[in-house]
Amino acid sequence: MDAIRITNLVKKYGQKPAVEDLSLAVPAGTMFGFLGPNGSGKSTTIGCMTGLLDATSGEVELLGEPFTTDNAALKRRIGVMPETLGLFEPLYAHEFLAFVARMFGLDESTTRRRVTELLEALELTDTSKTLSEYSTGMRKRVAFAAAVIHRPEVLFLDEPFESIDPAGVSLMKQWLRRFTEQGRTVFITSHVLETVERVCQQVAIITRPGKLVWQGDITALSRDGAVVCNGQEFRALEPLFLHLTGERYADLTWL
Amino acid sequence: MNTPLIGELVKLRYQLLWAKTRSRHGRIALFLAGYLLLVMVIVLLTTGGFGAATLAVRSGKAEPIAQGVLAAVFLEAVLAANILGFGMSAIFSETELRRYPLGAPDRRIARHLTGILDPFWFLFFALELGLMVGLYVLGAGSFWFGLVAVLLLFAANYLLARVVGLFIDQMMKRKGGPLVLMGLIMTLAFLPAVVAPLIRNDPAMMDTVVRRLQFTPPFGAAAAMIHPGLAGVSGLATIVAWILGLAALLVWLENRPPRRQVAESVKLAWDSPFDRVGALFGPQMGPLVGHWLRFYGRNSRTRTMCMVSLPILAFLTWQAGQRMGPHSLFIAALGTLPMATFLGTSIIAMNQFGYVGGAFRRYFLLPTEPAATLRAASYAAVTIGASVLPIGLLAWMIFVPYAFDARMLLMLLCTGLTGMFVLNGLGIWVTLFNPRKADYNTNFGNDNSLGGNILLIGGMLVSISLPRLLYKFHPALVSPESWWMFLPLPVLALAFYLATLKSAGPVFVARREKLLAIVEGRN
Repeated sequence: MDAIRITNLVKKYGQKPAVEDLSLAVPAGTMFGFLGPNGSGKSTTIGCMTGLLDATSGEVELLGEPFTTDNAALKRRIGVMPETLGLFEPLYAHEFLAFVARMFGLDESTTRRRVTELLEALELTDTSKTLSEYSTGMRKRVAFAAAVIHRPEVLFLDEPFESIDPAGVSLMKQWLRRFTEQGRTVFITSHVLETVERVCQQVAIITRPGKLVWQGDITALSRDGAVVCNGQEFRALEPLFLHLTGERYADLTWL
Repeated sequence: MNTPLIGELVKLRYQLLWAKTRSRHGRIALFLAGYLLLVMVIVLLTTGGFGAATLAVRSGKAEPIAQGVLAAVFLEAVLAANILGFGMSAIFSETELRRYPLGAPDRRIARHLTGILDPFWFLFFALELGLMVGLYVLGAGSFWFGLVAVLLLFAANYLLARVVGLFIDQMMKRKGGPLVLMGLIMTLAFLPAVVAPLIRNDPAMMDTVVRRLQFTPPFGAAAAMIHPGLAGVSGLATIVAWILGLAALLVWLENRPPRRQVAESVKLAWDSPFDRVGALFGPQMGPLVGHWLRFYGRNSRTRTMCMVSLPILAFLTWQAGQRMGPHSLFIAALGTLPMATFLGTSIIAMNQFGYVGGAFRRYFLLPTEPAATLRAASYAAVTIGASVLPIGLLAWMIFVPYAFDARMLLMLLCTGLTGMFVLNGLGIWVTLFNPRKADYNTNFGNDNSLGGNILLIGGMLVSISLPRLLYKFHPALVSPESWWMFLPLPVLALAFYLATLKSAGPVFVARREKLLAIVEGRN
């Protein structure tokens, strides 16, 4: 079964296309990498898949059900870590996580237990600071904790590893692997191609404006194998990505 | 002094104002602001300043009238600058200015120069200038002495506004500071009510008060405008002394920012009063209302405004409650009490998502009907506003020198509830159609959008002048005998509020992308 299915998704801002006729299918239990250059429409696609944005046309299905902004039951089964972390700055981390947990229907004792465990595991135990006083990496951890606190079946993570220290990234990767082993699905966008190469089984690459240029299995890369694209062999994700999206060079002699 | 760089910053201040014209709303706002400003300047200059000068000269009481006008303008500028936040921009705060290659003294000059060159201050300057020109034209004053006096008074006025603003800001951040501040404001608000009967009983006291007031900037300026001789020089010297004192105080306050005292780590608190109050709205809405109550409650401007709104409105009641018969204070309170339920929460209630920033998107990720968050935010504002009403009514019973009359109390309750529902209902529409990205942590500046300012300032003007107009044309309508006529008002207002909540839900969902762009600063 596909955990995520997008069919002919189009998103336009006025007349300007941000996503163009995008179709994707993500099997359940997969760690799926969604890659593309800056401004290619990755976050817009996630926005359309999670109810933040209205697609101009096309369909989104999550866990076999058509998804709309008002589908609260389906929203309860997904977790999202948005690109803009979307934290309520004046709150303390535990207050924010408890609020999210309660909104997702967790009872009082489960909320307290999970919040405490997440804060300890993610080393967010300095409870004297509000979220506005946290460093970027700490804020990212809080956003990650908010996305997973209700044990979602599908997890959308927009740039999850950016600004997090190596120990934090290692812990998150470990959790995400366990997550997919249990048959749940992770949809990740990232510019850290080495990490994507190591953790994802499948990858989709888009270019501006939100056009799918390649989708395929990359498990071979983590076993020192190769991926074939347009008759060429690629032993790493970076050359494949640059081949599909185009390399750039600017000679700024004054720099 | 780095004059070119400071000049660039002042230029930037106006470039930023002009940049607002790049959007359609901005063009309308600028047009309206410019138009209003122009009209107000003309009106103030002619009717306010010049008119006051004419009255002063013709009545033969040039100096007392000039003193009264200048003192009123002086105090109102301080109040307006701190309540409405005009003339102080967060963009030119010390933290922001540290980005540029400027030393501390240059940063200070740049900060205050951009502050004093705000169009808001020009209005007060125009009024004072109008008075001075009027006195000169009618032969009751000296042009040059008057001009110097106006310029010095203007500088002293700005400095006092900044000192008061900084003092309030620092007090709010200190432990126990809000309580001390509350005491001070209450004392100042009720001082006229206490002093007025004392002066009536002992007329000689008035002379003593006036003699003491000679040493204040407005009285010094009035002396300089009218007496070009030694008395005028003494008046100017008084203002200069104030300027020096206020400047020194401002530097002292700026150099001593309050240190936030925090523990390294505190025990997690799970059961907060916000959540307990929120729980009253049921299991579905409880967490959201609790969240919004926390959001309002943690905002220092909301806290300050909630604390000062009643004393300020008490002062306005006393000021407006003149010459309206035996129930003057009651008629004035019919207009001021509705504002008490809205003033404290207004900045967020009129711009619910402007202070949330990127977190706005989270409301759409929550497994709930998106409009529920709009309702929850408004319920929180109404809850806080409603809690002010009993305090206001209690203060009315204690401080107002009327015999207890349940009809008056009922009428005040009715107008209070009516104002609360109508203003919060209108606040929702401003939230949806004229939001603005704002800074939750700043204590200065006017963060309201054009719609927000129209609602807040217009709401205050309408609210305060309506009972007065009713008294003028249909006095029976505002007399306690007409108490029963006030009963349907809150019901109608509640109906409007509920209809707004219902119809605003779909609008909120439909406009979410526009709102997101605005609150994230991408418009």
